[in-house]
Amino acid sequence: MSLLAYDGGVDDGNSSDTEPDELIDFTAMLMEQRQHGDNDGDCNDSSSWLHGDGDNKLQSQSLDNQGYCLGQYVLGVLDFSSQYGIDYSISYTAANVIGRPTKFPAYGDYPETFTMRTYGDWWQCAPSSMREIQSQNLPTLPTHDFIVVYFEKFVVPTEVAIFETFNPGGVVRIWAYNITKHWTCLWEAKSSDMIQPRTRSNYALRDSRRFAPPLKKTNVITKTLRIDFNHSQLNYYTEIDAIMLCGRTVSMRSMQQLIATASASASASAGLQRLDGGSREVTSGGPITNKLRTLKFQPSCRENYAAKLHEFINNDLSQFLIENNLEPGQQLNSSVSQTCLTDLPFEILLKILSYLDLKSLFRMGQVSRLFYDISTHPLLYGELSLKPYWQLTNSKLLCTLARRATMLRKLDLSWCGGFGEVSPTEFKKFLTQRGDNLTHLRLNSCKFLNASCIETVGIVCDNLIELSLRNCAIDPPLLNFSCLANLKNLERLDLFQTAFESELLLSMLEGNRKLKHLNLAFCGVSVNMDNVATHLGTYNTQLVSLDMWKAHFLSARGLQSLARCQHLEELDLGWCLREATLGDSLHQLLSNCPKLKKLFLSAVRGITERDLVHIATLGKNLEQLDLMGILNITHERVYDILVHCTKLQLLDLSFCDSIMDRDLDVIADWSRLFNVDIKSSRIYNAR
Amino acid sequence: MHSLNWTSRLISRALRSSFSTLLDATTSTTTGATTTTTKGAAGKATANRSPRPRFVSVVCGFAKDNLRHKYKPGKYGEDSWFKASTDTADVMGVADGVGGWRSYGIDPGEFSSFLMRTCERLVRCTHFNPQRPVNLLAYSYCELMEQKKPILGSSTACVLILNRETSTVHTANIGDSGFIVVREGEIVHKSEEQQHYFNTPFQLSLPPPGHGPNVLSDSPESADTMSFPVQEGDVILIATDGVFDNVPEDLMLQVLRDVEGERDPVKLQMTANTLALMARTLSLNSEFLSPFALSARRNNIQARGGKPDDITVVLATVAM
Repeated sequence: MSLLAYDGGVDDGNSSDTEPDELIDFTAMLMEQRQHGDNDGDCNDSSSWLHGDGDNKLQSQSLDNQGYCLGQYVLGVLDFSSQYGIDYSISYTAANVIGRPTKFPAYGDYPETFTMRTYGDWWQCAPSSMREIQSQNLPTLPTHDFIVVYFEKFVVPTEVAIFETFNPGGVVRIWAYNITKHWTCLWEAKSSDMIQPRTRSNYALRDSRRFAPPLKKTNVITKTLRIDFNHSQLNYYTEIDAIMLCGRTVSMRSMQQLIATASASASASAGLQRLDGGSREVTSGGPITNKLRTLKFQPSCRENYAAKLHEFINNDLSQFLIENNLEPGQQLNSSVSQTCLTDLPFEILLKILSYLDLKSLFRMGQVSRLFYDISTHPLLYGELSLKPYWQLTNSKLLCTLARRATMLRKLDLSWCGGFGEVSPTEFKKFLTQRGDNLTHLRLNSCKFLNASCIETVGIVCDNLIELSLRNCAIDPPLLNFSCLANLKNLERLDLFQTAFESELLLSMLEGNRKLKHLNLAFCGVSVNMDNVATHLGTYNTQLVSLDMWKAHFLSARGLQSLARCQHLEELDLGWCLREATLGDSLHQLLSNCPKLKKLFLSAVRGITERDLVHIATLGKNLEQLDLMGILNITHERVYDILVHCTKLQLLDLSFCDSIMDRDLDVIADWSRLFNVDIKSSRIYNAR
Repeated sequence: MHSLNWTSRLISRALRSSFSTLLDATTSTTTGATTTTTKGAAGKATANRSPRPRFVSVVCGFAKDNLRHKYKPGKYGEDSWFKASTDTADVMGVADGVGGWRSYGIDPGEFSSFLMRTCERLVRCTHFNPQRPVNLLAYSYCELMEQKKPILGSSTACVLILNRETSTVHTANIGDSGFIVVREGEIVHKSEEQQHYFNTPFQLSLPPPGHGPNVLSDSPESADTMSFPVQEGDVILIATDGVFDNVPEDLMLQVLRDVEGERDPVKLQMTANTLALMARTLSLNSEFLSPFALSARRNNIQARGGKPDDITVVLATVAM
């Protein structure tokens, strides 16, 4: 039933209605421009697209044709969710996206590019994987990582080119930040767009590519882009060399006009297209009400709202449809059974709605009073994830949700509020109202967090089992002193790429004896890992997974202390021990932790051949093993490991220079024979 | 090993105060979209148009075993050099890989080459400080640890930065490479050779794991730093020990005196070529009493003739 067919209705938009004029103009203006865009066909013919007709009064205030085509590279990086390198480095870090491509069109694993922390779905299969909160909200291709970059000049984008120099195929979405402070999705990948799923053959020669997908035709004016990545189909790390934004510049005057128009319409419509259900309470209404009005449908809804609507739907709807020529004369209520959705019991309807994603739930609430009551029931808001709606989340939405989410247990506000849409006060209010029963809280990359927010978390949410505060690396550290000392029930603590004071961490370790999962990646030079390891060995012997990627000051002594955590299943020591000699510590660890499934020893150059022998003999349960950049590997040791570790699924041997080129073919054979995904690097020559 | 810890702490401390300097929306330094040629006063509103100096620089050199080494830009055998310029500074540097690593199966040129390439990239970063060449070396040294491909070895280094706003040159030198500055026919500045003992210069090194305590490893902190103002027409020569050990000072002075104030890069290149060739010829001469032979004799070693070594010459004049 197409209430959305507005081609018939738009001409009546200027008729005698009580709407504020700005609203109608804006909608119609968009319509006009869309029509013009369609008629032109070739979007590179910019003059007509920007000009419009002179006789249409709406277009007389349109953009001037002073713009010229401009292609620009990234000027700076505003935010990113993860990177392979540590923040003070220029190798494999997000800052390498800036400027012209340095390595393109060469193909290979180069440090002058931007790489993210994960690839494939290996991290989802690891013991430390986190289940998504309210997973029905996620799109088909969920975003795993993102980067927000800005350019120098405002343009209307016509092309966004991403230079991928290693394992292309990770980009799933491109967003643009309009000067009217809204995010628009310029392109979204469909499942068919993704590069073929990885096969066992890692050795098929891939090529670097300049990825420029077809963008949606818009007239947003932007200089900030956000690129979303999904790693599930990737064979190995994907690396980005540069990003280029091509578009037409616009004059200052038209930019100002656009901002003015947008703010006027925003205030009038109280959230056109917004997620919050609050808009239906305002008399000017949302798009559905408008369309209903243009179709000459005016229910008098002063009192007895539900009954009138019910009456209309049962009796007059079919007639109405025929009159407006929207249904080909079908009789709706003659032969159809009398049971309808609303006859089902409340609990069944609740169960049905529990499968809906948040956006659809809000839309359901606009259908009728009954559905409004059901869709705002607290039981549907036990788990709340605003991560897939990061671009729409604002303080008002939080306020609305606070009213309904009285039984909130799990909350995910990751990536929200990046440009000031969420105020810390509102967040604190939300938390104070609804936070006392929270068991899972995820606030990754939340830019609105400040010290008092964290304190509120510490005070209010003392039932927390899981706390994830990734990407909070501001200075001075947000996590200081005793703000989180109140939390005593933590089982998972995720401080990936977050700055914190080591005293706080040590006291939290002492306080949370049931800690199972700890992520301290990229904590850098401010934390002495040996101390942390000693504490873990003393107080947190229930530990199941530990991630210390790029930590500093870990030595053999620390590793020995870790051996006391006998339930360890996952240990990521990548880039930790550097050149330090391990002595007997790895042997001790392996003998004391037989359950070890995932062991990452990337760039732990101190590993000796004896250690490799121990890995083979003691690593009975190993499923993922990363030995990148280890100096003393020979293919005999590799064979040993493959034979003895029967459950092995992933073996990373990149940059192990001792394995000669000729052995790589043998290794390919072994990979097929033992059914293990072996990653290795070949020497890629610059083109 | 402790030198690595020191350097990591230095960098972290420096960067913590302005975290994500690499990501800052600074508009003052032109990282990225703009080109990298030496423009004068681009984008900066300097009310007083004081002359901004720049380097006219050329490079020449020979690898020790010329026949075996295929020429790759940026390296001469185990030596390596780099040149970079931004709006605020002109930077040059050389590094000499210590040859003793060959017996461990490590290519000595890799370390020095990487050091220089990273210095070149770091010049473009937002946190580049034109007055602290030691920091440049330290950051570059730290980057070595962040490479997936294990890079081992050691090398000397000499980095020179011309701060275009203040017309001063800041230098940092570790080991026996060095520089000299010639003005009006006289050497006005010269770097000091840093040696632990004869033929064992100070060096930045990354030893293979397990050999740490046995290997000489100096931290960037031990670099010799100098700062001095420069004038138009000054000649600056940065070279590795292949030049300083083979060419006596007065001969060098003779050659460099002629090129003072020269702005034509072709003529400058010819002089650099002359110097390099001189060093090469003398190094292969077994009778000549080279500076190396003289200093060996001072150390009670009967030596004679030149010292065959990689030769790298970076020659620059200051032009306003």
